[in-house]
Amino acid sequence: MAEEKKKEVHGTGSLSADALEAEDVLSGAEPWEPWETKLVVGSFIVAFIILLIGLFIVPTSIINAGG
Amino acid sequence: MSQEKKGWTYGMLTQEDWWAVWIGGFFMILGLLSVWGIDLVGWITYPKIWVFKMPEGAVPKKIVPWYQAFYPLGAKYSLTAKKFWKSIGPIGGILITYVAFTIPLCIGAYFMRWNVRQFFLGWTVIFFLTYLCWFIGHHAFFAATTVHLKKSNFPDMFTLSLGGGASFILALIVGLIIGNFFKPLARFLSEAAKPEWYIKTAIVFLGVKVGYLPIKMATFSQKLGHKVAGLTFELFLAGAVATFVAYLIFWPGIYTISRKIFKLPRKTAAVLGSGISICGVSAAVATGGAVRAKPVVSIMVSALVVVYAVIELIILPWFFTYVWPGPEGALVAGPAMGLSVKTDGADAAAGELLDELMRAKIAKDTNGAVQWPEGIITVSAVVTKLWIDMFIGLWAFILALLWCYVVECRPGEKVPAIEVWHRFPKFVIGYFAAWIIYLTIFFGPGHAGAPEGMAILKAAKAGAVPVEKGMRKLFFMLTFLSLGIITDFKKLKEAQFGKMVWVYLIGLFFFIIPVACLISWLFHQGMELPNIAGMGIE
Repeated sequence: MAEEKKKEVHGTGSLSADALEAEDVLSGAEPWEPWETKLVVGSFIVAFIILLIGLFIVPTSIINAGG
Repeated sequence: MSQEKKGWTYGMLTQEDWWAVWIGGFFMILGLLSVWGIDLVGWITYPKIWVFKMPEGAVPKKIVPWYQAFYPLGAKYSLTAKKFWKSIGPIGGILITYVAFTIPLCIGAYFMRWNVRQFFLGWTVIFFLTYLCWFIGHHAFFAATTVHLKKSNFPDMFTLSLGGGASFILALIVGLIIGNFFKPLARFLSEAAKPEWYIKTAIVFLGVKVGYLPIKMATFSQKLGHKVAGLTFELFLAGAVATFVAYLIFWPGIYTISRKIFKLPRKTAAVLGSGISICGVSAAVATGGAVRAKPVVSIMVSALVVVYAVIELIILPWFFTYVWPGPEGALVAGPAMGLSVKTDGADAAAGELLDELMRAKIAKDTNGAVQWPEGIITVSAVVTKLWIDMFIGLWAFILALLWCYVVECRPGEKVPAIEVWHRFPKFVIGYFAAWIIYLTIFFGPGHAGAPEGMAILKAAKAGAVPVEKGMRKLFFMLTFLSLGIITDFKKLKEAQFGKMVWVYLIGLFFFIIPVACLISWLFHQGMELPNIAGMGIE
């Protein structure tokens, strides 16, 4: 029954009071791998590019509104 | 990735997201009938600020005696049935409100396969408790601002000046007391304590608010209507860019903190990254599914999301109002809230509280010379959040691809594109539909506020106000109370996820919130709220 409920919560994104159970999911970290570095750095680079473009195209940005 | 076949209609009768659309949409359509002179929403009963005894010389305008503390909104706003709605009185109004919501909500509960009897009983208690909190929270000591006192000819007196925010806080406190000190009652109510469902429905109602704002302003001044329409578009654009930038910084940042500093496993770090960065519960659950984390990871993160959302809800509106950026940066604070608070419910509620506090403060600071229309600051918080919500589907899909093809490379496994649709927060559809419908009325038959369109705009207003004001706030109240009821601090302590608590704490307060403030400040500098002082707008 509890498993069923847990499964249901997992699938729908719904939040309910009895969905909490403890299980060891915090140990056993894998070593950091190169694709993780690529993912993180790539994401920061894309963010920076969108930030620069956004500051120019958004009329209410600090650049266009004059701070 | 689940390999079971799910068509695009999957979940339409069984998921909270869709039921928020159906219920929100149903009442929005009822409200729209006012355009044809049919008023079917005037029953929703709304509170006023009250006192036990009116002081001598006071007039019952903004502050009324306790027995007038509630009124059906139709009694004030209806064009065709004002007398009828007045005749039902506050008790009749509350009872009709109860019946009008109980029926569709129970139908929703039935289709979502909840225990309908238990839901009905729990809902009944939650509904009336909500109205009780709404009543107490509107006592003048908590809610009245300088403007209210002045307009009702009250003598100068000390009040907390919290506006409608007092009721939200009270509902949350009452919920937390029930959830933590009256456990049997909390269990009894748990089937109906559904903060995510209530808030998603409230967000559909909020769509009516966003679309209706130009109409509201135009009924007072055509120029003001145009200004507010422009402002909502500015918020939409700036919110979109800010969200993209913020999210692309948030997720990898939290992922790195979790992996490098706290040495968490990849899947746990990925779920935490989404939970703290995007929109909490839904994102944690979507990412958990995408990377195939153990269900408990998503659930633990979801629990943390709720607890920290409550903490943010208590701290941030006050911080943004009284410390930084203050009322002069009200439209920087709103989006910063949207980027920082990780559940739709808490964000919209925190935005609502911020709205009340900011408007109360600016009115107090300027002695009433500056007054802002209600709801725009809330909208600024929610728009950013909605963009983040829309990002969930995309990000969950990217993570699903990444995990499927890079991390856990399984030959021959395919990720169907429809998965993005399944992960898309559906209530957003209701929100945008409501917004677009009312904007269409404004720019179409309403002639953008020109005199020839005024009759239809006034008719639209009569049906929109009960939805965007009464129903929206009622569902916010329900959200707060429910959020408190399901938050069990002891349960969280017992789960021994201290490490996760620390990652969340550090990630949120030392990374997410400062970055959110910076990005919001960069993109929302040039926004100004219109001053409506002296225009007779409430």
